[in-house]
Amino acid sequence: MYEEPYRWVEAVGNRRQYLDDQFKQGSPVVGLAYDGGILLTTVSKGTPKLYEIYDRLALGGMGHPTDLEKLRFSLLEMAHVEGFNRSPSDVTGSRLVKYGIAPVIKQAFEEVYKAPFIVRILVAELGLKPEKDALLTINYDGTFEESTGCAALAATPAVQARMMSYLKEQTSTTLSLEQAVDLTLRTWAIGSLAHQQDEIDQQEEAKPAASGAGSSAAAIPSRDTLIAHVRGLAGERTIECAVLDRQAPGTSKYRPLKSADLSHLLPKALQSVVAN
Amino acid sequence: MGMQGDFLQLLKEQGYTLGVSTAVGSGQTLTNATTILAFKYRDGVLVAGDRRATAGNIVMYDRTDKVLEIDRHSVMAIAGVPATAYEMVRVLEHSFKYYRRTQLQELSFDGKLRAVSKLLKDNVPAAMAGTGAVVPVFAGYDLEQGSAKIYFYDILGAEFEGVEYAVSGSGSPTIRGILHYVNTWGEQPLNALSQEQAIVQALRLLTSAAEFDSATGGVNREASLYPVIKLIAAAGVQTVPDATLKPLYESQVVRNV
Repeated sequence: MYEEPYRWVEAVGNRRQYLDDQFKQGSPVVGLAYDGGILLTTVSKGTPKLYEIYDRLALGGMGHPTDLEKLRFSLLEMAHVEGFNRSPSDVTGSRLVKYGIAPVIKQAFEEVYKAPFIVRILVAELGLKPEKDALLTINYDGTFEESTGCAALAATPAVQARMMSYLKEQTSTTLSLEQAVDLTLRTWAIGSLAHQQDEIDQQEEAKPAASGAGSSAAAIPSRDTLIAHVRGLAGERTIECAVLDRQAPGTSKYRPLKSADLSHLLPKALQSVVAN
Repeated sequence: MGMQGDFLQLLKEQGYTLGVSTAVGSGQTLTNATTILAFKYRDGVLVAGDRRATAGNIVMYDRTDKVLEIDRHSVMAIAGVPATAYEMVRVLEHSFKYYRRTQLQELSFDGKLRAVSKLLKDNVPAAMAGTGAVVPVFAGYDLEQGSAKIYFYDILGAEFEGVEYAVSGSGSPTIRGILHYVNTWGEQPLNALSQEQAIVQALRLLTSAAEFDSATGGVNREASLYPVIKLIAAAGVQTVPDATLKPLYESQVVRNV
């Protein structure tokens, strides 16, 4: 039935709708440069969502855990074989994304007889110099974007844009790690609240469900509301932060922040959450 | 196989083989010979090596680093054919990282030892042919057990624990005797030495090895060439800088007659 071009376009369209639905329950991921490297933050439920890929590469993901695992292994394999056969400095995020996994994701998405990858991916790369730091995001259809300074993954482009504009508006100077943890958590809360709002809008069916226009038009909640939102979820979820730390000894720069680190890095209102 | 976190297997699937098992041609002299040593001191384990690489009676290079950091808590000191030894270190370094990153847990200390054995076993044809014999000393800090450990190997991959110390290389027979003597009848056993005393001991041992083995470099003060000395404790591997070695060498190793 997909032989005719029109049918194929339709099938791909259906697939987009199906995939968009899959991310609604997902937890956003935020990447942000700070004075000592790059910070990734999410608040995960069950499985971890932040991973080490190579000496200077980290991964954050949304979507189906099994799909994320498959792509994580592809990235790990490519990075380590390349790093061994050439040199660790030849392993770059942009090569892994552009020539490595993005084409694989695109192909799976367009082969309408097969299952697509239900993932959105964020790859953070710590450059040798801060100006070389990069953040790459890949969508479930294989499109990728490269940015510097900050990046976000969320269920819809509208929510993602909302998170990005908040990140950009709040980062005027270079942030310390403590400030970055605070900002990424607030940004995560914006994304998470917008997801909830989208859900409510859809249930009411008062508005067309497509873009989540309701949430993105609303005013940005206050700082306290955002932190309180994270606090409210902290019982069932885990605050997950990892850094690519430029000052880390040795070649591997990735370091997950443990509860001992978080207990003094988190905003005051959240410190008690990690303690237990 | 990738799912099991075995990097060497991944390489093999791509057609990789370690070492070249070709017999040494006549008239070819390969680079080898050295002195490496490791012993336990109060805080952990000290690993040291001279810096000379020789081929027959030619000095190839005087700034070789034979004490190589594999990860934050393990070090391999190499004696034997450097081409193969460096390759092994590269494989191990990537293997340990690959395991940690795929399996989301650190490879156990025993797992690391096994990885070294496996590489040596794969390398037996090359070792027998004469082009790839490597006799390493592997030392590290086992975080699970909270203790420093030293292992040495033969060229076939058999693994032996050096409870107090281990040595390898052409200069090692000289210092093996000294280590035994010092450890048994010295003022204090090796494992009671402070960090500074351990460093002085290592410098003296390598100087002795250089005295009797032309393939061991020792210390060359004119060129500011000091041995490579690494200390491994619970906090990780630390390289002793030349700035620390120089005064210790001058005050406690050189005899001003």
